[in-house]
Amino acid sequence: MISIPIEKIQEFFSDYTDVEYIDKGGFKIVYKGTIGDKKEALKLFMLPNEKDIYSPDELKNELIEESKKRIIRELQILEKSKSPYIVKLGNLKPNEGKIDDYHFICYSEEFLEGENLATLIRNNYKPKEKEIIDLLICLFKAVENIWTDSKAVHRDIKPLNIIKTNDLLRPFVLLDLGIAYIINETPLTVEPSQRLPPGTTRYLAPEMLMPNFRGNLDFRSDLYTIGVTAYEFAAGIHPLAKQGDDLGVTFSRILNEKPKSLCDYRDDFSSEICAFINQLLKKVVALRPSNIKSLIKILVSLL
Amino acid sequence: MKLFAQHGYGEGEKILNGLKANLIDGIVFSPRDVSPNNLELKLNDYRSQFPEKEYVMDPQYYTCVLGTHPNLNIGKLSEYQDYYFNFQTKNRLEIEKNVIEILESSINFQHNISTSSIIAPNIIIPRSFDSREAVIAKNFIRLATNSYRKKENKKPLYCSLVISSDAIRNIQDLQEFLSDITLIDEPPDGYYLIISHGSSDARAEIFNSDTISAWMLINHSLKINEYKIINGYSDIISPFLSSVGADACCTGWWSNLRNFSMERFTPTSAGGRLPIQRYLSMGLLNRLTFYEYDTLKDRIIGIKNNLDNDSIFDNGEPERAREVLQSWEGIKTLISLFSTPQIKDNITNLNMHIENALNLYSNINSILPSLDTKSNSDHLEPLLFALSRFSQITEI
Repeated sequence: MISIPIEKIQEFFSDYTDVEYIDKGGFKIVYKGTIGDKKEALKLFMLPNEKDIYSPDELKNELIEESKKRIIRELQILEKSKSPYIVKLGNLKPNEGKIDDYHFICYSEEFLEGENLATLIRNNYKPKEKEIIDLLICLFKAVENIWTDSKAVHRDIKPLNIIKTNDLLRPFVLLDLGIAYIINETPLTVEPSQRLPPGTTRYLAPEMLMPNFRGNLDFRSDLYTIGVTAYEFAAGIHPLAKQGDDLGVTFSRILNEKPKSLCDYRDDFSSEICAFINQLLKKVVALRPSNIKSLIKILVSLL
Repeated sequence: MKLFAQHGYGEGEKILNGLKANLIDGIVFSPRDVSPNNLELKLNDYRSQFPEKEYVMDPQYYTCVLGTHPNLNIGKLSEYQDYYFNFQTKNRLEIEKNVIEILESSINFQHNISTSSIIAPNIIIPRSFDSREAVIAKNFIRLATNSYRKKENKKPLYCSLVISSDAIRNIQDLQEFLSDITLIDEPPDGYYLIISHGSSDARAEIFNSDTISAWMLINHSLKINEYKIINGYSDIISPFLSSVGADACCTGWWSNLRNFSMERFTPTSAGGRLPIQRYLSMGLLNRLTFYEYDTLKDRIIGIKNNLDNDSIFDNGEPERAREVLQSWEGIKTLISLFSTPQIKDNITNLNMHIENALNLYSNINSILPSLDTKSNSDHLEPLLFALSRFSQITEI
């Protein structure tokens, strides 16, 4: 368990005031700090210690390098992005640091006031149909931007990575491009055959579970996870995965099970929006509509 | 949803009568069966009389690799060598420059005649999507729009997509292929889709549940991705394709204009006896010989369509040239029954229609226990399975 005293963090980020802990997940810890009159999210990505990697010696360095390259890739995409629906970089440029035994790379992003969708779902928040339409439009525009500017697939769209803000111009903002995949660059995953597909199990698109999925990946995998996220946010439950399922059962559900219509949980929703989300959840990639501009047009017509 | 005449040998006045009676909505011309000059004359003539109909030409470029075939019969297609047609080797088709030349010459030819849309040429995917031919075919599709734009065309562009039934039965490969062609940088307006069988009379191959469900899947996927689809040689399968999003289907007067086979261009025998005249029964989703129809029409309700062109069969065997009018009318009516925007409803209704057809066949059995091999009910079970398979794949 990573544990760094907040005083040491404050000391490390000496340009920032009021540094406080926000959250952590995987190898990442996020703090909040103020620089000038702006709040920013300070992200620390812990680099694995050699002694903690249970792999042959020759692979250890490669795995550490993979972690560094992933962060660099995320930053490349964020730097290119002009979309208001994708989090923006902050003042702190990426640099490597060390506190106690912890070796990390850190940089800052804008701090978004609001809650992530996972917290809202946990608190039984019930969005209205219009809010789901807004969410879909924001995420479609974000995915379109990532694809157009960087030919990248986000691969980790899920409620935890989306902030519902109080800003009417950007009501939902997508975070965390840490495992984004750029289709015409060298894959970063070391020993891919020995590892699970990158992403969060419950939010993997069916094609991500196929052998050699990287050869066929495109933004339609993100359209699937947008569908799952919108469904879960609206219904309060995941369309396929269930609490207590093991990995095999979850994979099997993703590959084989047909989700119930969203309207079964939200009878106050129109059949059009339920059918729309249902189409995004199709297991066959070519059955998910690929024209994002048309999708947005349809959603606007439903408002 | 429209029905086009699949043009071919022996046109006579069949198409003209079909257009006059509003039984068809357009024509897909076959250059094998009409010279370039006559094609232009026909186009101008039909367009002046029926300006609201659609006129396209299948470039039939899929025959380009048949150059060394011992029984080659490409008819008047050889007269198109001055414009766009030539025999090719697969080696040459792997070179982008050659593909662009082929596309440009074919598109130019169609640009300069009175077609309402342009169909870009392509080769056939004969065995598998994991093949050299599939790569060449995808290149034709990817390069077509660019070639088309050079002429500042206003006509919609369709890409030919010609696939053997062997290839489409591999559903995993088909899904990957669809994934590729539904995400290309410069997409055409639509596809002219042909499913090729070993023989145009091979009913077991034509009525194969995997083939039909895959054919439906292609239509459905292309529709979701906003392409228009014209299905060549779809005949009685047409209502199944229209139920999932096809924009147009085609059929003609001979069996080789109803079901596609490359045998049309490489016949194994020189002619034969004229085919038996058949009545298309909507209720049976099949054709009966004149004798069978005449015996059953007044004894079993549901055999007869009760449409205007039934009269062709009222007074003995019909004139051969008029038989197709009854077919077009029956298929067009069937299409209209199963083309609502609600795909799930269309599938349910098709299922019910097939169940009714099975009941009709049970009733027929008590009157005519032995039907002609093409008239029997063997096609119905594969059609039922095809609907079930399609629903399973598409989660409808």
